[in-house]
Amino acid sequence: MTDELLIVDSLSAGYLGEDVVHDVSLTVAAGEVVAVIGSNGSGKSTMLQSVCGLLAPSGGSVRFDGVELAGVKAHRIARSGLVYVPAERHLFPHMSVRENLFLGAYPTRPSADQLGMVYRVFPRLEERTGQLAGTLSGGEQQMLAVGRALMAGPRLLILDEPSTGLSPILASEAYAALVELRRDGLTVLVAEQQVPLALDLADRGYVLDRGRIELTGTSSQLAADEGVQRAYLGV
Amino acid sequence: MIRAYAPIAIATAVLACVPALFAGSPSMMTVVTAGLVFAAYAIAFNLIFGSTGQLFLCTGALAGIGGFGSAILSDRLGVPMVLSIGIAGAAASVVGGALSWVAVSRSLGTIFTGIVTLTFSLAFQNFVLGRGDLTGGENGLRISAGSDGVLDHQVAPYYVFLALVAVYLVLFRRIQRSRMGWAFRALRDDEVAAKLAGVAVARYRIYAGAIGSAMLGVAGAVFAHHRSFIGTTTYGFANVDIRVLVMVAFGGIGSLLGPILGATAFTALDEVLVDYAQLREVLYGVVSVVLFLGFRRGAAPTIVDSWNRRSSRWSVAKRADSAPEADSR
Amino acid sequence: MTAVALDGIVLGLQFGILGVGLTLVYGLGGIVNLAHGQMAVLAAIVTARLIDSGSPAVVAAFVGVVAVSVLGVVLDLTLMRPVYRQQGEHRVLLGLLLMLGVGFVIDGLLEWRYPIEALSLRFQGDPIPVLGVAMRRGSLVASAISVAAGGVLVMLLRWTTFGRATRSVIQDETGARLCGINPAAVRTVVFGVSGALAGLVAITVAMTRPVVSTDGVNLTTFGLIVAVVGGLGSVPGAFLAGIILGVVNTISAFYIGSYVSTILLLLAAATTLLLRPRGLLGIG
Repeated sequence: MTDELLIVDSLSAGYLGEDVVHDVSLTVAAGEVVAVIGSNGSGKSTMLQSVCGLLAPSGGSVRFDGVELAGVKAHRIARSGLVYVPAERHLFPHMSVRENLFLGAYPTRPSADQLGMVYRVFPRLEERTGQLAGTLSGGEQQMLAVGRALMAGPRLLILDEPSTGLSPILASEAYAALVELRRDGLTVLVAEQQVPLALDLADRGYVLDRGRIELTGTSSQLAADEGVQRAYLGV
Repeated sequence: MIRAYAPIAIATAVLACVPALFAGSPSMMTVVTAGLVFAAYAIAFNLIFGSTGQLFLCTGALAGIGGFGSAILSDRLGVPMVLSIGIAGAAASVVGGALSWVAVSRSLGTIFTGIVTLTFSLAFQNFVLGRGDLTGGENGLRISAGSDGVLDHQVAPYYVFLALVAVYLVLFRRIQRSRMGWAFRALRDDEVAAKLAGVAVARYRIYAGAIGSAMLGVAGAVFAHHRSFIGTTTYGFANVDIRVLVMVAFGGIGSLLGPILGATAFTALDEVLVDYAQLREVLYGVVSVVLFLGFRRGAAPTIVDSWNRRSSRWSVAKRADSAPEADSR
Repeated sequence: MTAVALDGIVLGLQFGILGVGLTLVYGLGGIVNLAHGQMAVLAAIVTARLIDSGSPAVVAAFVGVVAVSVLGVVLDLTLMRPVYRQQGEHRVLLGLLLMLGVGFVIDGLLEWRYPIEALSLRFQGDPIPVLGVAMRRGSLVASAISVAAGGVLVMLLRWTTFGRATRSVIQDETGARLCGINPAAVRTVVFGVSGALAGLVAITVAMTRPVVSTDGVNLTTFGLIVAVVGGLGSVPGAFLAGIILGVVNTISAFYIGSYVSTILLLLAAATTLLLRPRGLLGIG
């Protein structure tokens, strides 16, 4: 297939020589939204961190647009258009919203258009443009984290648990914004334990359990799966 | 029990033979005696830094409190020498214990402890220079107490310092084998576990600071009476702190005999380089950089280890943090 | 009183630049540069040697500053590499000890080769009255340079892309990497800037009093105290602390006497540290 943007093949990764993620393979095609669902500790974050270069994988390969990423430094991967939004957000707390967004476009100085595009998706950020990131509410911080990633003009946006620390209402709002981005044609890989939210957004999904892919299918297939229903949907 | 103290007995016995080599040369006896004084400083520093992780950058200043304190007490106030040494050692202990208390109670990390003690070092130096009426200032201080006793001979002072070093080693060993020593080994392995076990780590740090400082004060005081003359560099930062740090790093931080090894090696090196005295500081700088870079656990234990196990240097260096006492076995 | 305070500000500005150089390097990579003052003195001695051999003072000073800046870059690319691979306290301790060693190497070399070399930059002309106080031209030029250097630095940090990247690495290194910023490259550049600032301090100090080859340890210590009191990692904090400590030092030296005033300064620094372990304007 030629339109696969991201190909993760037999990826293993972990900490201090102990693998948490075993032999994971998945693909994301351009224009697609793919969800990785799984409970807390299933290895979602570890897997994403080794895709985006924060963690060196212990085995397997990650290809982004035909280029091998294993061993490439995180900042290079970010500049190549694969932009990761961690669950902890990693904003710059003593800088204003605007400055955080500016840094998203590093190393170039962003144009007014880029900034305006983010402000259209998240009008709230425009209201808070001069406020320090550290003083924002949880929901606003999540918006800023996604907004900062959008400033880079990503070809693939990877989100780790965008609902972390948000109330159900705020989490739905966050996902509403993602639906809008999807409509604009953005390619997204999202890891989530709030399974209904993720499956509503995504075209396809993978179920990650104890570091292994247990199941894969379209969102509706997964939502209809008995095991998924029992484990994640509370049916 | 016997095994635990055997290395001390052996080291002391070996060092006791040294005067047989140099007894004919007064200048060499001065050199090796000074070497023992540095060994004593290094054992004390090793107790504070190596065992309990407090970076005291005021080794010289604490020894200087002992030296200047005892000199002033005995010469100015007529206090008997032995008593003045004791009082001066106690004063150093109080100061060092207080520094340790501050570091522990404000939970200063390594650098902040380092910076606060460095600040204290400088304050002490300024005091010595500023109160020239008491300390002799830039001209130095001549000391009469002790100048006609056992400390003035050639060979006898060596054995006085050897006895001091042996006592310090036994003390170090006893502390290492006490609850306190266990606590710090537990801490090194797992901080959370040590805390959960109810180990009074903070208190032990202060004890180590106070005991180590007393060791420094007493050694500094005895040295002052032996030399009969002390100046600003006798206890200066460059002269004492940096040398002690390099000696301990060379011998192996936290190990029992490391300070002896380090002091011996660098005393010998100083003698070899006696004609290049100006380059000594450069050399110490280079050696310390190489030591900290390549041999985080101390050069001597690393070399011995790689000899024994023929393992690569890097794997040994990585093990550094978890293996505190290599040459105690 | 005004005269003493103005002298204090002149000194304080120098302290401030000294502290800023230290605080930036610490904030970015956790390196406590205990060779900072020695690097400053190195710049002074290079400048003095060049002037001795006939170079114009401005050229000599420029070369001196650039030389130390290059030294900073080289140190970052060589000795500091293994330090950056360590984490947390291990990193700080290793960096501190290595730079202590480097400081001694520089100190030793200078005292060996140029024991009596000193840099003293004098300005011709009468004193200029400022607020009714006749100020020496050297002091005024030194202060102007300090203010300009500080101002340029603050503007670069605040308004340029690279400055913003520098602050981002101080605040959240992982976040910076995810934005495509290479922390290692930022650290290298800033180590160079820090070296240049050290050199600049030596040049400005030489305008008010001779800089001798043994001044390194003192400069390092004062810089360290300023950086710590200002809050390690905080540039405005370092400026503020520098000026406060400079004024306090000069006033107490004038009214109390030299050695007590130094001890008071040291005590004040230690107390600040104990009351506010993160410093006056400490971050994080």
